[in-house]
Amino acid sequence: MIQIEKMGKPAIPIVSGRFEEDAIASSRALGMPDLQFVIVPRIYRNLPIDECVSQTEAAIDDIIDVLTVDQQHGRRERDEVAEIQRFEGEDRWDAILKMNEQWLMRDWGDSFVLHPPTAEAVDELIAGSNLDADKLICDMPPGFGLATVEKIAINAAMAGAKPEHMPVIIASVKALSQMGSHGGTSLLMSTSPQAPLLVVNGPIAKELGINARSALGPGRDNQVNITIGRAFSLCLRNIGYWYPGQMDMDTIGTTRKFVHCIAENEDMSPWEPFHVNQGFRSSESTVSVFITNGELDVQDQGNTNAEDLLKTLAYGSIFGTRGLGMHGGGQRLILMPPDVAGPVGDQGFTKDDARTFIHHHAKNSLGKMIQYTPIKGEARIAAAWRWLENLTEQEILDIEVSVLDSPEDWNIVVVGADRAKTAVMPTTDNIATVGIDQYRT
Amino acid sequence: MHLLEVLNPVAQQRGLMNSTKINERPVTLDDATVGLIWSGTHGGDVALKRAGEMLQARFKNVKVNFYTGGNYPAPPPIVRQAGEECDVVIGATAD
Repeated sequence: MIQIEKMGKPAIPIVSGRFEEDAIASSRALGMPDLQFVIVPRIYRNLPIDECVSQTEAAIDDIIDVLTVDQQHGRRERDEVAEIQRFEGEDRWDAILKMNEQWLMRDWGDSFVLHPPTAEAVDELIAGSNLDADKLICDMPPGFGLATVEKIAINAAMAGAKPEHMPVIIASVKALSQMGSHGGTSLLMSTSPQAPLLVVNGPIAKELGINARSALGPGRDNQVNITIGRAFSLCLRNIGYWYPGQMDMDTIGTTRKFVHCIAENEDMSPWEPFHVNQGFRSSESTVSVFITNGELDVQDQGNTNAEDLLKTLAYGSIFGTRGLGMHGGGQRLILMPPDVAGPVGDQGFTKDDARTFIHHHAKNSLGKMIQYTPIKGEARIAAAWRWLENLTEQEILDIEVSVLDSPEDWNIVVVGADRAKTAVMPTTDNIATVGIDQYRT
Repeated sequence: MHLLEVLNPVAQQRGLMNSTKINERPVTLDDATVGLIWSGTHGGDVALKRAGEMLQARFKNVKVNFYTGGNYPAPPPIVRQAGEECDVVIGATAD
């Protein structure tokens, strides 16, 4: 609608009540804070047809009003907050608690205790990169806040990051901005539980102690993973404006929004590392950002034969629904442990061979995967699937197709300890990989 | 007493630095071409079409154009076409 207003024509979206804050936040982010919209009580998507009609009829006076009467809602301004914040306490700890109390009320934190981003702490972090404080890294989606090195350092300080973590954090922020409008904006604002995952490759992973074994979880071994992921999460909130209920419109939510950072277990992989697949040299350090949409454990308790291991993985990866749009299947990120990758590689499978094998064995009933999608009328169906309109429900159930569109939609990263338990994550088809070395001192 | 000084973590938004005002509204929709842009999400098409019918009933000589790119957000060519062909536009993401 903003694009059309910018073409000189009045334009309004119809928005359900739960999305009012989102509409306001989005209109600010996209440079038209006074964009008008009409609020209806319920989300149309799950309403019966008669209720779609009745709630529209109830809103018609509002629709006419915002299309024909000049409005001044004064939504242009946000609360001005000083760049330096002061908190008084009986002692330093008491002052830190007061800072936490107020900042959590502002939704600037993640509900864990925040480290105080003092000028000294922030300066130390800025010195951890080779960039000046006011260097602009990107406009960070989804809200397009200006991600300067200083703002990134402030949020990193709140997470308890160390100066040597800064190049990874800066590269992660940059990578998110390179995912395009679907990756960085609309997917993060989705009502599905979509969250970034950071995968670090190259020498820096060992230098910093980023865990590549049981890398997704709490505790001592994952201290660096957690700290970098948390710093990125706080950047997403306070620079990217990814605040719940505003630009993060998740229906239920996911713990993956406490963003995870992991390293690939390159030492125990039989294949080239993931960042080499992305066009980097193995000697370079990189971070890749995936947008994940779930997580499933696929167990193999006895196979050592490559084809059997890959079949188990393929059969375990057919979960979920799929759309029938241009990119209906999305992608899968396979976090493959060495006890699966090792035998598969040793028995002659390249990484591409493994992806292709999995793709051709990961098939499911089309009807089961698209049951929720109306396929008649003007539904969101690509032309390539229009032929389904003439089939019965049973005929569609009987069609078996690959759950993803192509072998390239299966991404393999070797991670984990020495057990054959694979984690499979549905992801979107946007992946961005950015070099870290360019930001190192 | 201890005074703690800390730095504000919230970044300025590009959109508010270069913001654009909305357009003046027409006083009536008589003789207007109304564009309806549907994101492809279930129910949004029903809502938009009903809104179009009601505008045609309330105002004289209203023409309604329905657009969809079959996906969210609507593809830029569809949005551009609606902006060029219509006097006002209504959209629904169905969310």
